[in-house]
Amino acid sequence: MNFQRQIVNNINVHVLPTKQFKTFTMTLFCHTPLSEDNVTETALIPYVLRRGTAKTPETIQLREQLDDLYGAGFGFNTSNRGLTQSIKFSMDIINDRFVQSEQSLLRSGIEYIGNIVTTPLIENDQFRPAYVEAEKETVKKQLESIINDKIRYASQRSMEEMFAGEPLRLNALGKLEDLPHITPVTLYARYKEWLQQCRFDFYVVGDTSIEEVSQYVTEAFKIENNKATQIKRYNNKPDVNEPKTVVDQLDVNQGKLNLALKLPISYEDKNIAAAFVYNGILGSYPHSKLFVNVREKESLAYYCASSFDPYKGYLSIQSGIEIKNYKKALDIILDQLKAIEAGSISENELVQTKAMLVNAFKETTDNAFDIINFDFAAQYFNVNLSSDDIIRMVEQTTVDDIVEVARQVNLNTIYFLRNKEV
Amino acid sequence: MEVIKYEHVEETLYRKILDNGLEVVVLHKPDFKKTYATFSTKYGSIDNHFSVGDQPEIRVPDGIAHFLEHKMFEEPEGYDDVFTTFAKYGASANAYTSFDRTVYLFSATDHIQENVLALVDYVQRPYFTEENVNKEKGIIEQEINMYGDNPDWRVYYGLIEALYQKIPVRIDIAGTVESIYKIDKDTLYRCYETFYHPQNMLLFVVGHESPEKIISLVEENQKQKNFKPLGEINRYFEKEPNEVAEKRKIKHLPVSMPKVMMGFKEKEVNLSGEELVREEVITKLLLDIIFSSSSKLYQQLYDEKIIFDSFGFEYNCSPLYSFSVIGGDTPNPDLLVTKVSDAIKELQQKGIAETDFERVKRKKVGNYLRMLNSPEAIASEYTKFRFRQADMFNVLKYYQSCTIEDVNRRLKEHFDFDQLAISIVESAPQA
Repeated sequence: MNFQRQIVNNINVHVLPTKQFKTFTMTLFCHTPLSEDNVTETALIPYVLRRGTAKTPETIQLREQLDDLYGAGFGFNTSNRGLTQSIKFSMDIINDRFVQSEQSLLRSGIEYIGNIVTTPLIENDQFRPAYVEAEKETVKKQLESIINDKIRYASQRSMEEMFAGEPLRLNALGKLEDLPHITPVTLYARYKEWLQQCRFDFYVVGDTSIEEVSQYVTEAFKIENNKATQIKRYNNKPDVNEPKTVVDQLDVNQGKLNLALKLPISYEDKNIAAAFVYNGILGSYPHSKLFVNVREKESLAYYCASSFDPYKGYLSIQSGIEIKNYKKALDIILDQLKAIEAGSISENELVQTKAMLVNAFKETTDNAFDIINFDFAAQYFNVNLSSDDIIRMVEQTTVDDIVEVARQVNLNTIYFLRNKEV
Repeated sequence: MEVIKYEHVEETLYRKILDNGLEVVVLHKPDFKKTYATFSTKYGSIDNHFSVGDQPEIRVPDGIAHFLEHKMFEEPEGYDDVFTTFAKYGASANAYTSFDRTVYLFSATDHIQENVLALVDYVQRPYFTEENVNKEKGIIEQEINMYGDNPDWRVYYGLIEALYQKIPVRIDIAGTVESIYKIDKDTLYRCYETFYHPQNMLLFVVGHESPEKIISLVEENQKQKNFKPLGEINRYFEKEPNEVAEKRKIKHLPVSMPKVMMGFKEKEVNLSGEELVREEVITKLLLDIIFSSSSKLYQQLYDEKIIFDSFGFEYNCSPLYSFSVIGGDTPNPDLLVTKVSDAIKELQQKGIAETDFERVKRKKVGNYLRMLNSPEAIASEYTKFRFRQADMFNVLKYYQSCTIEDVNRRLKEHFDFDQLAISIVESAPQA
């Protein structure tokens, strides 16, 4: 399985021809540098774009079009990849061979995304004010709602503490305090600038070819004067300070103990696979040290896990515990970090973690969106890395490689969300 | 072995019911690297009062099906830990419990035969001791506390509690901290021996491995095990009155904005099998026409800032209970309920528009086909339908044959305002 690639209208087009799926799956990645000044405006753009296009000004008509395309799945997502603010538009549409359709569904799907992103509804040189106001409210409610889900709240808070003072602390949806200042005029200005700064990558996985997709992209995407900004990668500096402890108090039953750690390794580094193995041994599986020692041995938690974000060089540990068990749980978690650093890794832990990772990378090839996301990660870091390459690297990882990774892990913040004292 | 071809969706199923009653079904996906398998028992949180054959009936503590699911991962001395076994073969394993099913699963790209056997073997090898049962209580207590702090879960469960008076669907799947401390190893064994008998179970495998090979592998494996014949399982449910338990239920939790869910409880729940599926399809189409993001009502409420992207709806049906769920975050729960109710009443007068009906029907056909890309979804849906004596692959046919008259009939039947209950989660009033 190999992607065919071509640049069309300033867009990097990537196509994987395959008959494996009953659908055409598409993703448009739009990347601009993450910045304090415009993070919120940029985040608001896709919300307003989805409301209306020059051709189809009313939202309800746009939604009906998706139904007419046999219920095409359409959505967008905003995230921060290191120093890049990433907006992703996705569509999943069935292959015409299962239905009787007047026009190629693939072409209609590409046209839909192209219209949304490049020919929005503009009235009097601004976005339609009603749409901007409504979507500001939607983003506001979403930012405010983070506190409702305590697991999400605790991980957002621990990340904010670790990257305090840096753009990496920002939520991908931006800052609440920016929202009141955004107007239909300023947002349109930011949109035009965004369109020029964006690096666009458009992916299709399905029974098609680069020629067919390129033709539809040429017709559907109108982008002029695009000067895609070079993607700037984040260099995580090692910490010199002692870890800090932060406690928040809310009306909760269960305490959330999270640790934020630096692990400055990304896809370009030769030990990226060892970092995945490290994270696996520490906390991403039921055989991992955190799960076994915090949950199975001590019954302290239902969940205790780690995750690793190579875009930020960020390792995080999350757990939900009884509040009175804070000290006990923290000690056990810290012991696990020390154990790996000391090379205390059993043959079983190593073999099982590798087998799980290899399986996970192999499984990505059965899900079209996973295929796209994996390939894009390699494109983002500008490395030539297939899932086979990474599988080989995982298999070759030794205990010494993992200890080497462990030495780069630096605990930055201990975060505890607890109840209000009575 | 039966071979069933579903040409309209380009899928082929292989099926065999083994001598001990276990049903094995394989969906052959030669292009897929991954194999996904589920081993399911028709046993969930609602089965808390039962008997077998002419033995006396028994009531068991709430949450025991879920507790049992946790404890199946325990292995006797001399066996590797379940997760170790799967990890060795590169498989990721998991399990979940619903109202009427408990499902054990793995996904893997290699060692498929070993993994299938590992799945069947560990689920058929219970090992409960007083010590390992007590140890689990602390873990499940934390799981219950985690959900207790989750407002989306609380508003959803609040609605089911408001709708139902007797049917144990109103009891949280995990039980309560109090009820799980009453669970002991003997009761666990009793439930296990009843509901984990092969004749109450189904193994479903999706993947590239030859179906003949998988079926004969499992057949061989089962021949080496002895299961005493099981009498018929009787499940006892108190008669559920037509009336909802509570019209309006409020819970206090710190939230940025209130959450509301409204639901209509069906009065008649005498359908089963294919008939039930057909009614489910019609009702889901109806809800989609009225409430999906392409509906006029959705767009109007969104423009009025009464709903946001979190607004959603679903329809749950079974031979015992059927209800809709409609709602999301809103600054004003009562206003949202009023507006939705008014819109439904107006529609009941006017009827559904032909164009809306055709458009949404097309969408549902596409959604169904897209679902078939996902081995996880196929396995889950197939088992759910099969346990109700129905076939998931017929769903497409029901969408295609559904008429606007069907939908208008359900519009009048389902939305009976005597059957409405409302659940709200909002922050406690400031003292």
